[in-house]
Amino acid sequence: MPRIPHTSPQTLSLFSALLEEPQRWRYGYDLSKQTALASGTLYPILMRLSEQKLLETTWEPSDEPGRPPRHLYRLTADGAALADQRLAARPAKPRTIGPAIQARTA
Amino acid sequence: MNVEQTVRDSAVRRIAYALLRAAVRGRRARGGDWGEAVLAEFTETTGDREAVRWAAGGLRAVWHERRDRRRELPRMVRIRRRVVRIALLGIAAGLVVNHFVLTVGYQPSGGMEPTYRITDRYVVDLAVFRLTGVQRGDVVEVSAPGTHRIILERVIGLPGDTIRCDDDRVERNGVLLDEPYLATDDLHPDYAHMTGCIATLTVPPHQLYVLGDHRVISLDSRSFGTIDEADLHGRVLLRL
Repeated sequence: MPRIPHTSPQTLSLFSALLEEPQRWRYGYDLSKQTALASGTLYPILMRLSEQKLLETTWEPSDEPGRPPRHLYRLTADGAALADQRLAARPAKPRTIGPAIQARTA
Repeated sequence: MNVEQTVRDSAVRRIAYALLRAAVRGRRARGGDWGEAVLAEFTETTGDREAVRWAAGGLRAVWHERRDRRRELPRMVRIRRRVVRIALLGIAAGLVVNHFVLTVGYQPSGGMEPTYRITDRYVVDLAVFRLTGVQRGDVVEVSAPGTHRIILERVIGLPGDTIRCDDDRVERNGVLLDEPYLATDDLHPDYAHMTGCIATLTVPPHQLYVLGDHRVISLDSRSFGTIDEADLHGRVLLRL
């Protein structure tokens, strides 16, 4: 069965972080903190989303001396729609076989 | 630059930053967007642990970015790079095989005539015989005792075998050997003529009794005695 793209727990947690305020530009470290994703996980996801035009990126010039410019991210309209849909389709709880067994034995 | 100053607080952080920068930029002034993004936010991290984690993840991100960039290269460039990479790997693998597994030998002497003539080349197994062992009748490369010279010999006796030879014949464990590899034609009637035989000999453990096929001129176990297993260099598989 082909895997549905953008459904990994990591991608979903990034989606929910980005959807909090869809219009706000976010940067990598900030997203990494919020989603608890390591940079090596987070950036490849960002790259993939950006390549598929689900994420837009820009460089923000440095506002204080000494801080290098930041790369900023936010979901495109397509991206936001997809994120919404993927989050809605997410199983509410981590999948367990408990209820199924209970239903059968009841 | 201020970035360097912020990073100056600990050796670990400085090394992590330097590694990440080298991976992102290499010799260029500026790396790809994504690598630069990770690099720019390095200063946000606090503490050695987080800095190292961030840099390590950054390396992974850079690797992804490079891979994506490679995919966009023109087809011919990608093919050329692949060809070069395969060629280099192939050469390296070939050298290893040639040294440890299988190689080609050259026969400079007449001691194995008529089976192997002077200037003949042959393929030698350098490894597998160590697992399978050698058998009676195998042609092997051995280092001549007392020298580093590699010579070809035929295995006549294995450890425990009793070898007896006289004029033109060799007996192993009391049985006369059938030696079809000796010259039997009328042109070389005396190739098989033996001299210098020790009357009777039992091959000691871990030793081999070897003879050259040209019994007249060959220097072999008749002159230098049995050879040590450790002096075995290879087993000849075929003549080229």
